[in-house]
Amino acid sequence: MDLVFLAAGLGAGLAVLGAGLGIGKLASAALEAAARQPELASKLQTMMIIASALIEGVALFACVICFMLTTK
Amino acid sequence: MEVENNSANHGNGEVGPEGAIQHYLAGLSDHRTLSFFHYKIIDLPVIVYDDGLHIYKDINSMEQAGLFTECEHKIVHKDNPAQGVAFDASITSLVCFEWIAMIIGVVLFSLAGRKYKKGTVKAPSGLQNLLESVVSFVRNQIVIPNIPGRAGHKLQHYFYALFFFILIMNLVGLLPGGHAATGSIATTLALAITSFLVINITAMKESGVGTWFKHLLGGAPWWLFFIMIPIEFISLFTKPFALTIRLFANMTAGHVVLLSLTGLIIYLQSYLMAPVSVGFSIFMLALELLVAFLQAYIFTILTAVFTGIAIGDHAEHAEHAN
Repeated sequence: MDLVFLAAGLGAGLAVLGAGLGIGKLASAALEAAARQPELASKLQTMMIIASALIEGVALFACVICFMLTTK
Repeated sequence: MEVENNSANHGNGEVGPEGAIQHYLAGLSDHRTLSFFHYKIIDLPVIVYDDGLHIYKDINSMEQAGLFTECEHKIVHKDNPAQGVAFDASITSLVCFEWIAMIIGVVLFSLAGRKYKKGTVKAPSGLQNLLESVVSFVRNQIVIPNIPGRAGHKLQHYFYALFFFILIMNLVGLLPGGHAATGSIATTLALAITSFLVINITAMKESGVGTWFKHLLGGAPWWLFFIMIPIEFISLFTKPFALTIRLFANMTAGHVVLLSLTGLIIYLQSYLMAPVSVGFSIFMLALELLVAFLQAYIFTILTAVFTGIAIGDHAEHAEHAN
């Protein structure tokens, strides 16, 4: 039973690690692009939010699985 | 936050720190009474479908009627507690908060709409200005750029309704005594089902059923069909599923973080913890305000983007031809 909590905590941490890396890479690329071409900034922002929402979605799936592990 | 305020009648030392935190966690879920802080306003009706429709005035009259009983927030058969009912369609507190959000939306827009009905050509002001700026943001930033052609114009009303409904539900959750209906997976699932229908029905209408089926093939060579068809078929359902989980998890996560910060005071049983908790809670509530807008925006824009993708190249060609 205690191992389940360990697994859930580790899983949530790993999921957040992956999502953080992904969103960080995305934001850095978007910022570089916006610095190169400031006139595209608003378009880039929309695309960045969409992509970050997709990354976040995958991370949330993992977090929901972790949450379900603790409450089963 | 309903959770934070239930402490008044339960934090009286009868239960240990863990018991109190368990009690707060229960406050995050659905209730069978509508209450403002710990004052009960009304009992909510229980509607159960199980070999026939059973409707009870409240949970107590259901217990007295003797057919069903409540066990760990689930309605089960009295003679066989292991067996749940087939379908529990009760009016719960979150349903009420959803209705409150609907009423707020309808009232706001009919107040603002009255000015347009008068037909005055004055520049908008006050409430009308506020709503008009958000409506034009939804149209110009979300719907028109992502959905090509006439479909965007036809669908814009759905997106206004979607955006404002989610936004108002999220904001009701931030009011004292309020509860975000989007923090329940049932609400977000229902919203995602509407967006699933909109995405696919629009795609079928705009580019034809044949093109919609062709989309399932993913434009791959024929010998890849046995991989492509299942993948594309599953991706039809993962989109609304991701929408469901994203909105639900974001709204619930904010509540759970606030709960954990408040719970620190109880867990450590120290007054010194209070300023820290309150400071972080204020920061988290500010963040929740941002998240309330951001999640409404993300749900709406993703639905728009998916609709645009589902319509596909066909509509774009038609637009170029025009």
